[in-house]
Amino acid sequence: MSRLRVSALTLFVAVLSLAQTASQLTTPGIRRVGERLACLCGACKNTVANCPMLECHYAKPAKEKIAQMQSIGATDENVIARFIKDDGLKALSSPPAEGFNLLSWVMPFVALLAGLGAVFAWIRHYRKPAPAMAELPPELLDQYRSRAEKETAGFDE
Amino acid sequence: MENLGALCILLAFCFGCYSIVGSLVGVWRAKPYLVLSSQRAVYAVWALLTTASGLLVYGLLAGDFRLAYVAAHSNKSMPGLYKFAAWWGGQEGSLLLWAWILSTYAAVVVFTNRNRFHRMMPFVTATLMVTQVFFLILIAFVVSPFQVLAVGRGITEVPDGNGLNPLLQYWTMAIHPPMLYLGYVGFSVPFAFALGSLITRQPGDAWIHTTRRWTIVTWMFQTCGILLGAGWAYAVLGWGGYWGWDPVENASLLPWITATAFLHSVMMQEKKGMMKIWNIVLIASTFFLCIFGTMLTRSGIVSSVHAFAQSPIGNYFLVFLALGIALTLYLILDRLDYLKSESRLENVLSRESSFLFNNLILLASCFSVLWGTLFPVISEYVTGEKVSVDAPFFNRVNIPIGLFLLLLTGVGPLIAWRRSSVDSLKRAFLAPTIAMLALIGGLMAAGIFHFYALVSLGLCVFVAWTVAAEFWKGAAAIRAKDGLSLLPAMVELTHRNTRRYGGYLVHMGIVFMFIGFSGAAFNKDSTVEVNIGSAFRIGSYDLTVRDLKEGENENYIWHHARVEVRKAGELIGTLEPERRLYKSSKQPTSEVSIRRRLNEDLYLNFAGTSNDGSKAVIQAYVFPLVSWIWVGFLVVLIGTWVCLVPSKIKMQFARTEVVGVVSERHVPVKS
Amino acid sequence: MITAVSITLVLAVVAYTMFIRPQDLPAPPAENPFRHLDERKARIYENLRDLQFEFRLGKLSGDDYQRTKQGLQKELAAVLAETDELRSRLGVVTQSKAPAPRAAAAKTTPRETCPHCGATFKQALKFCGDCGKPMKGGAA
Repeated sequence: MSRLRVSALTLFVAVLSLAQTASQLTTPGIRRVGERLACLCGACKNTVANCPMLECHYAKPAKEKIAQMQSIGATDENVIARFIKDDGLKALSSPPAEGFNLLSWVMPFVALLAGLGAVFAWIRHYRKPAPAMAELPPELLDQYRSRAEKETAGFDE
Repeated sequence: MENLGALCILLAFCFGCYSIVGSLVGVWRAKPYLVLSSQRAVYAVWALLTTASGLLVYGLLAGDFRLAYVAAHSNKSMPGLYKFAAWWGGQEGSLLLWAWILSTYAAVVVFTNRNRFHRMMPFVTATLMVTQVFFLILIAFVVSPFQVLAVGRGITEVPDGNGLNPLLQYWTMAIHPPMLYLGYVGFSVPFAFALGSLITRQPGDAWIHTTRRWTIVTWMFQTCGILLGAGWAYAVLGWGGYWGWDPVENASLLPWITATAFLHSVMMQEKKGMMKIWNIVLIASTFFLCIFGTMLTRSGIVSSVHAFAQSPIGNYFLVFLALGIALTLYLILDRLDYLKSESRLENVLSRESSFLFNNLILLASCFSVLWGTLFPVISEYVTGEKVSVDAPFFNRVNIPIGLFLLLLTGVGPLIAWRRSSVDSLKRAFLAPTIAMLALIGGLMAAGIFHFYALVSLGLCVFVAWTVAAEFWKGAAAIRAKDGLSLLPAMVELTHRNTRRYGGYLVHMGIVFMFIGFSGAAFNKDSTVEVNIGSAFRIGSYDLTVRDLKEGENENYIWHHARVEVRKAGELIGTLEPERRLYKSSKQPTSEVSIRRRLNEDLYLNFAGTSNDGSKAVIQAYVFPLVSWIWVGFLVVLIGTWVCLVPSKIKMQFARTEVVGVVSERHVPVKS
Repeated sequence: MITAVSITLVLAVVAYTMFIRPQDLPAPPAENPFRHLDERKARIYENLRDLQFEFRLGKLSGDDYQRTKQGLQKELAAVLAETDELRSRLGVVTQSKAPAPRAAAAKTTPRETCPHCGATFKQALKFCGDCGKPMKGGAA
């Protein structure tokens, strides 16, 4: 099992690792993976990659963990799987697109489509001509029309 | 003093209840005395809450540390402004502020309408007072701002308070919450009028005309609140983010979105008498989202699900929301006949349709933000496992929606009311589309291939062009007729229809903001540890740390770095980021230093020194175009003010007046 | 001390709320049953003005302009019909309160014929001597 080997190696490297300086923790690789992981420090809603606190008690160890795993050749998926194993699904910065959590991605678009449907239904409904004037006898209608035309005569300038 | 404050709140609660009952019974039994008395109760509630707020503020300024609230949110060394701002620094105080603002609004509403709408006003008063009483229940019985510190049965006092959260000790933060609350609370008024007119079946759109300015002002406050919050986050949190999709931020955005939709769709009702149901739904949603937002902010339901059970006020909010929504729905369904449309849609290709799509997109973005905010709670409830919904989710869902909205901002105004032909649209769209494509082509030639940034900047040009063309064409028409020169003609044009051209200005401001948002695609940052005197590079800047200083005052200890900024070898400025440790709360904060320019901001955060003290840790960022957000904000503000100026031309029309009754013999009655 | 202040406060608030003299009651407003119709009329005029302006700006073709204008006139006719209907239902006589001079100047049609019943008179009258309804343009 590659996962088993990776985690064993992680453990080994973790023991040997020294505190890394902040600048070493911002490689493109760490960013790429960190972007997919949530910072769970509780004070921010950032991703691990974006957490601005240098000494964040969650993001910093997380970045170190990513760096260690990458240094021994773990793929992005390995790293992410490892984080999910340790911290649960909430380690991901956005919900996984599977099972119930798929709904989080689908619902906004379902709502949009439903709204679109409602708009079209509305348009169809209101495209029918208004029955308002039909009740008046034609000669009266003409009379009112000519009055209306007279009243609006000044608008042509 | 605390007794007097508590008494004021309790009395306000009683009179609020009296006002509700008095209004309803008064209008039901047709007793003008009772109605007037309940209106006076509204003023009384205002006076009582003003007294209570005054007492709390006095306690904060004078440092009465027997009060739990003062001890928790103020201390002796804070500057007076922040002592005052501590009024809204904590839960109890900010609920009191909410209640006070609402009572002020209610008093203003009752006063300005004292001789109008005799049928509707009692219901308006009652609606406002129900909301008022709800908040009074919270501050009178659940989270009292006048709680004293006590040991056993004796009142005690602490020598000094904890002080306001240092992150909040910043000028925009001092005015951001009241702005937001002025917005949140303000939507109660149009909602109350909507409900009042629905209950009494007022003919016409009186509630819309009466609350038109009110809604715009409230919307402006809300916009200010949101953007001041963004400006605060940008300048204080130390990493240059202005929007983090935090539940509390989302809570302020949600009612803003529905209010924006309302401001647009209300034109359909004013122009054509359509979408009456929808407008009521929108204003009701806005109001309930405001309450919901206050709940999110105050109960911590989302950030920690488990705190919800312990937080005493969440359940009160839920009950209020449930009852309010149920009542509103019942009223709407019961009075559908009253809300019937007066006219029809003449043509699918018309301004009306563009408003429909504008509403659809706004609501879709509102829903997706709400959904994303609540999803962790929902998911934990259903699957038992918590998930995180952070910025990447919101960005992925909302950026396309936002861009589409930007497109509509440009397209909508080009389409005429009632009907438009494809030919005239083709003509209107030709120039802005060419401009858009030219810009996108130019940017790609310059090596920029970020998809969203390209689309966004392209659309910005498109919309700016269409808005400018509206002004240009209108002014040209006036020039041709009145012989004015260009600028006076534009002023004249705007003055003739302030709402329309003010609205266009707001659109222009939104375009500027989008320019600022697009810049985020090109942010650069780097974190370095440098020796004093040595240089590092970010973007086109060479930065040299000159020296480090430290010192303290009574409020905090500070460390301070002086960094020289050079561009192409030439010294262009010195930035001095600072790090503070607040004494009473032991909380560190950073005072970033920003070189703000329209093309890009250089943003330095002094993160600390290395363990031996020889090196400075500096986080340096370059944020292209971010200043355009604040420029856009100013333009939005100006546009909103223009909307509030009365139009020069008011349509003159003959009013029908009753002068007499037709007698049996059809003899005309002399007037 | 605190008790005295509290009692005063309570009494003052109660007194302010409860004691209302008859002259404090606001006069009942003149409710105009025609107001919403007037407003609708105003709205149509405003739409017409907008339409004309947009036409001048070239936002819509001449054909669209004419059709929309006719539609608006039809709406105005409906409002006029509704006004008459309401007037006869309420059994009241109404008169037009003078609009501002600019709009009034536009009215140059001869007014010797009553628009309601068709009776003719030698001079302009405020109200028709035949049916009692106001004749347009009668000075108010």
